[in-house]
Amino acid sequence: MRKTPLHAAHVEAKARLVDFHGWEMPVQYQGILEEVKQVRAHAGLFDLCHMGRLVITGPDREALVEHVFSSNLGKMKLGKAKYGFLLNAQGFPNDDVIVYRGADVVHIVINAGNRDRDDAWVREQCATRRYRATVANVSDEQAMIAIQGRDSEATVQPLCSADLSQLGYYAFTEAKVLGLPMLIARTGYTGEDGFELFPAKDDGRRVWDALLGSGKPFGVCPIGLGARDALRLEAGMPLYGNEIELDINPLEAGLDFGLDLTKDDTIGIPALRAAKAKGLSRKLVSFVAHSGRVPRHGYELFDGATRLGTIASGAASPTVGKNIGTGFVPPSHTAVGTKFEMDVRGSRQPVEVVQGPFYKRAR
Amino acid sequence: MANRPANVRFTKTHEWVRLEGTTAVVGLTDFAVEHLGELVFVDLPAKGKKVTKGETLAEVESVKAVGEVYAPLTGEVLEVNAGLANDQTPLAKDPFAAGWLAKIKVTAGTKVDDLMDLTAYQKHLDAGGN
Repeated sequence: MRKTPLHAAHVEAKARLVDFHGWEMPVQYQGILEEVKQVRAHAGLFDLCHMGRLVITGPDREALVEHVFSSNLGKMKLGKAKYGFLLNAQGFPNDDVIVYRGADVVHIVINAGNRDRDDAWVREQCATRRYRATVANVSDEQAMIAIQGRDSEATVQPLCSADLSQLGYYAFTEAKVLGLPMLIARTGYTGEDGFELFPAKDDGRRVWDALLGSGKPFGVCPIGLGARDALRLEAGMPLYGNEIELDINPLEAGLDFGLDLTKDDTIGIPALRAAKAKGLSRKLVSFVAHSGRVPRHGYELFDGATRLGTIASGAASPTVGKNIGTGFVPPSHTAVGTKFEMDVRGSRQPVEVVQGPFYKRAR
Repeated sequence: MANRPANVRFTKTHEWVRLEGTTAVVGLTDFAVEHLGELVFVDLPAKGKKVTKGETLAEVESVKAVGEVYAPLTGEVLEVNAGLANDQTPLAKDPFAAGWLAKIKVTAGTKVDDLMDLTAYQKHLDAGGN
């Protein structure tokens, strides 16, 4: 299995390690529920080094990104980040990504499980169109660390050269942390305020340890993938492989905010316009389970004898105090308050559609 | 680690069983409970249910996963630890005593010699527990 530059820190912290898309990653340290609570109450640290990073440069870099990215790069201010998809020609997502628009560079953060496919896809489009752009995969040269939670700014600021109070939501900047140069972005995947830092690979451990030290007054500790999944589900954020897949289009998943359907020269957008005009046969809903059983990916949903669809994600939510989930159902079953059932290994358990997201922080 | 008693037998799938005459008390080992992580639900069989050795007896659900508990013996469910449905703490903290799962009535002469004793179970765990 592959190991991130922070692997030794996880072993020292006695994390429970699992295989995540070929990477040996921490699923939990002291416990998933405790870790969720720590991030909601204060802040926590995440090893994201396994995620992929592409750096696009050259005179046609923006034309290339505009061609492969479902959202509108041209409408983004310099120094801002945006969520969207790398769509195939049929309008299905190869991946969901965050694009960062710099003055002379575009950064794309991609999912660990899709690193090789995305890299090949973007290069292929670049070559086909003969764009004068260079695609560099810096995933193995860079570390990636997130700190998420209300005490993130107070934790990072003492170590950082930039005035973080001036860094807006979904904005990024070049700055120094511990005197080391890196990109720092006010982005995340938990529904909390926080930052993602991109130091050089060999600086990763120093930054990790310094953040733990600086965050001590707030109880800042490392957070595993288990809590990360619950946090993002509570915040209504999709996970590739669950809410998004090669056979689920982003409209079905309700992710219209990651699409600009008016774009003409972007792969997959014409197909999505057509799909929207035709009407959708299923939609993603958020639901709570009126049951002690936890909804889980792949469980089937039923209305009496009628099979409605499958569960995309589920979790025991310490923040909501209920078992929560998302699932794909026909448009007839999407209204808030609609009740149906999930099949838990042969036993039917009641669920009820609610308005998502399950959690929204006060701003 | 919980103190594992010497008067029970163990299965490869981490159930324990203590035979008292024709009553078998069944539970999950500390290893299994620790492996599951934070517990959120226990689904126990109905009283009177006939169970067959190796088939699902109960389901223990954690934040991460659903764990199946297999019947270590064939018999009929006499009694279950019903309180676990609402509070899984006894199973998490005291899996060999307060956290027992079910009592199964077995036929006279039922033996547990084919199940592991404490020494053998420790070896099984040392080899990874799979």
